[in-house]
Amino acid sequence: MQNNRRYKSREKQLLNICKSTAGKIKKYDVDEFEVFTASSVDNEIEIFKSKIETLSFSDSIGVGIRIFKDKSVGYAYTTVLEDSSMEDCIERAVSNSKITGREKYNYLPVEEEYTYKKKLISDKLLFRESLLNYRIEDKVSIAKKLEDLTRSRDKRISDIENVSYQDSIYETAILNSEGFCDNYKKTTCMIYVNAISREGNNTSTGDYFGCGRSPDDIDLDRVADKAAERSVSILGGEKIKSDRVSLLLGSSVSAQFLSVIADGITADSVQKKKSVFGGKIGERIFSADINIFDDGTLPEGLSSRPFDGEGVVKGRTGVFEKGCLKTYLYDTFTARKDKTLSTGNAVRASYRSTPEVGISNFYIEPSKYDFNELLRDLNEGFYVIDIIGMHSGVNNISGQISVGAKGLWMKNGKTEIPVKEVTIATDILSFCKSIEKAGRDLEFFPLNGYIGSPSLLLRNVTISGR
Amino acid sequence: MLDNGLTKKILNILLKNGADFSEIFVQKRVFNNLRLDDGKIEKSSSGYEVGCGLRLWIGDSTFYAFVDSLEKEKLINAAKVLSSALNGSSSLKVLNLNESESSYASNIKKPPSGIYPGKKKEILEIIDKNSRNYSSKIIQVTSVLSDVEEDIFIANSYGSYSSEKMVRTFLAVNVVARRGNNAASGYKSIARTGGYEMFDLKDPAILAKDASGIAVNMIDAINAPTGEIPVVIGPAFGGVIFHEACGHGLEADAVMKDASVFKGMIGKKIAGEEVSAVDDSTIKYHWGSYKFDGEGFPSRKTVLIKDGVLENYLYDLRTSKKMKGKQTGNGRRQSFRHVPIPRMSNTYIESGKEDPESIIKSVSKGIYAKEFAGGQVDPATGDFVFGISEGYMIENGKLGSPIKGATLIGNGMEILKKIEAVGNNLDFAPGFCGKSGQSVSNEVGQPTIKVSKITVGGIKDRDAE
Repeated sequence: MQNNRRYKSREKQLLNICKSTAGKIKKYDVDEFEVFTASSVDNEIEIFKSKIETLSFSDSIGVGIRIFKDKSVGYAYTTVLEDSSMEDCIERAVSNSKITGREKYNYLPVEEEYTYKKKLISDKLLFRESLLNYRIEDKVSIAKKLEDLTRSRDKRISDIENVSYQDSIYETAILNSEGFCDNYKKTTCMIYVNAISREGNNTSTGDYFGCGRSPDDIDLDRVADKAAERSVSILGGEKIKSDRVSLLLGSSVSAQFLSVIADGITADSVQKKKSVFGGKIGERIFSADINIFDDGTLPEGLSSRPFDGEGVVKGRTGVFEKGCLKTYLYDTFTARKDKTLSTGNAVRASYRSTPEVGISNFYIEPSKYDFNELLRDLNEGFYVIDIIGMHSGVNNISGQISVGAKGLWMKNGKTEIPVKEVTIATDILSFCKSIEKAGRDLEFFPLNGYIGSPSLLLRNVTISGR
Repeated sequence: MLDNGLTKKILNILLKNGADFSEIFVQKRVFNNLRLDDGKIEKSSSGYEVGCGLRLWIGDSTFYAFVDSLEKEKLINAAKVLSSALNGSSSLKVLNLNESESSYASNIKKPPSGIYPGKKKEILEIIDKNSRNYSSKIIQVTSVLSDVEEDIFIANSYGSYSSEKMVRTFLAVNVVARRGNNAASGYKSIARTGGYEMFDLKDPAILAKDASGIAVNMIDAINAPTGEIPVVIGPAFGGVIFHEACGHGLEADAVMKDASVFKGMIGKKIAGEEVSAVDDSTIKYHWGSYKFDGEGFPSRKTVLIKDGVLENYLYDLRTSKKMKGKQTGNGRRQSFRHVPIPRMSNTYIESGKEDPESIIKSVSKGIYAKEFAGGQVDPATGDFVFGISEGYMIENGKLGSPIKGATLIGNGMEILKKIEAVGNNLDFAPGFCGKSGQSVSNEVGQPTIKVSKITVGGIKDRDAE
């Protein structure tokens, strides 16, 4: 199969597209422009009952053009790279720049506006050659192995609803009329499993995933253990009485809460009055032990990048230090508005969308406490293993949070009963304040960006059940 | 979009190494997206995509590939590569292609391509002005207007092909209201499988006022109660509860994988006699409607629950074959980049007999959940949660204070049995539904309904008021 052939870098092709497109744009009456190209070769395998359920692969490429004219900006993209369609794409971008509102900060970034001046991570770290050694058959056996491992973990696991393997080779290049022209490539790989367990009339599900830059990075046994444990341990869960309790959030749960905080610390949401963190720079938000970083230079970080979606160098930004809010995350537009520098946080989901302010690798710094110490400190309380409804249960404007949770009721380090169908209700700022301790078991999850958290111990949070 | 000869050639290349089935899905589409934020048009973007998805089956395995192109050589090459994943041989061959028919017909009066960009801008400006004029408490308005025009061509080795021109238009507004330290938001959207004639029928100014009304009301919201209490769920978007709590479990892939609580329940009573529910992709111009599904099967109305008895699941081609059920036209996909899977279209609880006001009057103490921020379900267990974005206390049969931070949590099977009253005011609301990494247009609907008991996850203790 095609994917078994050695991958050849698209570097030249992407840079050529950038240059030839730039040549075409020069005929138009525009002030500035930017050409963004990206290619991606993807492989996805789903296994069901030891057989391939779906095997898909794709090889795609696209171009997005930003046009600046009279301090207005327009965007268009295409997947069709023939000359006529490129011309059409440029025309659409130009005509789009005539509809948008003028804003004096609408122009391309220049180097003086970078917080970080020098490239801080090389794409050699982001691209793992070893991924290319895996043939389709190898990837299929990885997924099958994960299915077997998970199933064999516990007799009560009756079905594996979903096992998937995915990998991607991504390359991107940006060229702009200010003279920026650069590219990088990266590989990512992810596996996922969802185990259904049954006992009597009770059914429960538990999932987990592993990710890295190549299958070499992934510990299948650990993923199988986690999925199985999450599924089986909450079998027979019941509602508990509504109360204010202590919570111990596992790292996958903590990371989901952290993603809510991530939404609120982008300069865009603050400037548009959509964040509860507005006007709080310098204020104590967490206990003094908590530090939170957005670091685009972590060698293992799946959201690491030498430069952001508009070509600005990304570094390590201390967002909360000693519990205090230090800075918001900026692209150049929002930085100009606040008379500061870009932190390199312009994020592009794909060539289909314009850059938006967003996180890279965003994480809570781990402490020295191991999980058992947190469990001991919990004394009596709710160990939360999984939450659902995060997307619909959070209002970033009012700050209200109310999400469904399942897990275990713990007492003196021992499980009293499995718990399900309860909710955790708080608000964003109270959530931050209620964190008493972070553990040392930092783990990252590919959420909206790459978010990492250790387990967290919280006090005095409302849960609602019976 | 592809000539008959090339289509057959590709289908046959896909078959030749032992496949049981082959399919080609061709799509061309033009998107436009306009976004107003912070008082001005902040983004205007357009996209043009052309692509082709190729699929084959052997036994229970699906093989899929897509290309961003309709060039003959690229398509043939992709088909050869995909087919080389198999190493058998096949006597199957497509000789003739016959066009499939659908009863769905629409008349798009104002396709997006004919709308002057200034007109689109004007719609968003109406939203901004009417929201800000609604109240001085409105401090932010964000609104998105998007449209897509696409041509779809699907052919398969069973010898059928279909083609469809699809137009969709969507407008959403999100406003922020603030007084002192209290902030709240209000969201409303309208959408149509059709063009800008939508705005001749629905006034964007009213949408702006409705969203602003929610935000302003919710500023004074008190903390929601906690615990199990009666809940009256409002019409239209309230249908999201059926969509999440039951609809996903009725999608045949979940049933097939033994990951649905509704497995083996056909013909059984799963809800009160008041409850009948339907999935219908043929309702003209509705957001979840289409002429053909993502596999070229004509749209259809499927009764899911009749008088409380489970009648049917929602199938795509693969699950209908495997489970020996009749295809229902629910094989949907986000684009040529995606494999079709069973998905809902327009899914709703049918109108009942009761007057919605008398339903509220019948509750002495409970809540009225009017609008939702969305929800999530685990189909294997039926456990769900919904975030209420606009809700009120009900006290002695009357609507009281607005409540904030409320979530409903429960189990789909159980909640169906607890539906005690169904109103006569069926209405619909558009949305997007995500499943397996694919987002498709969905419409939810229902009349006002009453559920005898659901866990409400708020902050305020019921007894300590």
